[in-house]
Amino acid sequence: MFKKFYLLYGILVLGGVGYAQYRGMSLDSMNQLKNVPKSVRDNPGSYRSIYSSYHHYTGGK
Amino acid sequence: MSSGLPPIQGAPKPQVKALNCPKCGAAIMLRALGQAISVVCASCHSILDAKDPNLAILQTFDKITSSDPPLIPLGTRGKIRGTDYEVIGFERRNIQVEGIRYFWHEYVLFNPYKGFRYLTEYQGHWNDIAICKELPIIDTRFSTPPEANYLGEMYKHFQSADANTDYVLGEFPWEVRVGEHASVTDYIHPPRVLSSERMSNEVTWSIGEYIYGKDLWSAFALPGSPPEAQGVYENEPSPFSTNIQAVWMAFAVFALGLLILMIGFEASAKKESVFHQSYLLSRGEPKGESSFVTNTFNLDGRTSSVEVTTSAGVQNDWIYVNYALINQDTGQAWDFGREVSFYSGYDSDGSWSEGKQTDSVVVPSVQPGNYYLRIEPEVDRSHAPVVYSVDVRRDVPVSAFYGIGFLALLIPAILVTWRSVSFERSRWSESDHPPSPIFNTGDN
Repeated sequence: MFKKFYLLYGILVLGGVGYAQYRGMSLDSMNQLKNVPKSVRDNPGSYRSIYSSYHHYTGGK
Repeated sequence: MSSGLPPIQGAPKPQVKALNCPKCGAAIMLRALGQAISVVCASCHSILDAKDPNLAILQTFDKITSSDPPLIPLGTRGKIRGTDYEVIGFERRNIQVEGIRYFWHEYVLFNPYKGFRYLTEYQGHWNDIAICKELPIIDTRFSTPPEANYLGEMYKHFQSADANTDYVLGEFPWEVRVGEHASVTDYIHPPRVLSSERMSNEVTWSIGEYIYGKDLWSAFALPGSPPEAQGVYENEPSPFSTNIQAVWMAFAVFALGLLILMIGFEASAKKESVFHQSYLLSRGEPKGESSFVTNTFNLDGRTSSVEVTTSAGVQNDWIYVNYALINQDTGQAWDFGREVSFYSGYDSDGSWSEGKQTDSVVVPSVQPGNYYLRIEPEVDRSHAPVVYSVDVRRDVPVSAFYGIGFLALLIPAILVTWRSVSFERSRWSESDHPPSPIFNTGDN
């Protein structure tokens, strides 16, 4: 029973990896937007990133 | 533990006879007339000589198991391995290990043409027992634990103990006695168990096979359900062991498949550089609006990934860049922010460093089209001049997927192996050869 499950599961895993690579999927987090106005091209300041004013880590020991 | 009992030779004519107990007068039905050696009166529990026409009393004993009746009543008929048998005898036996008594039950089955067969039951675990056709060969020289060879199959020694009979009922093909002692030794090759039973100078070997209670209940058409099996029995077949080798074989094949996928995608990925630009942020910049847009670049081919790499020559400093990858024609955009920071120094532990001067991010499933980047850098107010560059590549595979895939394949294989190992450890923990603990606690 488990053998059959594992065979099917393995095929799904390989298929999933292949599909993710083929479709160019990513693990990185980002925000997707639709209909960004064309005016941004001429006036970049009219667009505000949701990631702006990020609290920056100033590292070091 | 199994019963080691002599078989009855030949194919006798079936005979049944009704007699009366010479002690209490209760009716006794002899189901294996001519073959049973002993019969126990169900009323007064006298053990009688079944060979004697007058049923001479061999032994009397106090009934001590009124709360422990046979799970399969005497007289019940059922089919075992294609042959009809009738339950004619029942006994309870026990062994004592480290001061604890462990009880099990044995049932005598009879078919007038096939002879006797036995069932044993211990905490819901059942075995179908028959007398050995050949004498096993014991090998104690090279193997630990010792092994027995029976019909070419090797059986590992599991346990040796002194068994005591404390309750009997029905008919038996030997001179049964309450208080009877025997040295019993079990060798296992799941689902089979090979047992020897020594009484005085006589040794009897029997071979048993694990049988599930539900199958017995079905074979004997018993009402209700069998008692639930507790723990792992000595010859209980492992539900995992047959899978282990096949699962690891499958894992190896899948891992190879993953490697082939990786090689294939790495070889076929375009990894095409579609944009590269360097920028300088002088001291005090940016002033006012810091965002700007790049020239338009074309992403062609099928829907695939886009990798944006930010490189900055920061030293004990950071730069944070807000990005938006925008499709010029459709207005679709991916918004993300990336930080590049690098710190290093020297202290009493020696030199140290933290962070990297390069950062990459993969934008998923970007359709072909004309795109540009909106870039908005952020830096510390007191920053030194920073040169940073932005690279955009099309169709870049994500290596992490292979790692995730590998782990996804590995974890079930490890889990099933662990369960199999745990099962075997549970089995052998009850034997004369318990496995050593995995984690040594250091306690004595």
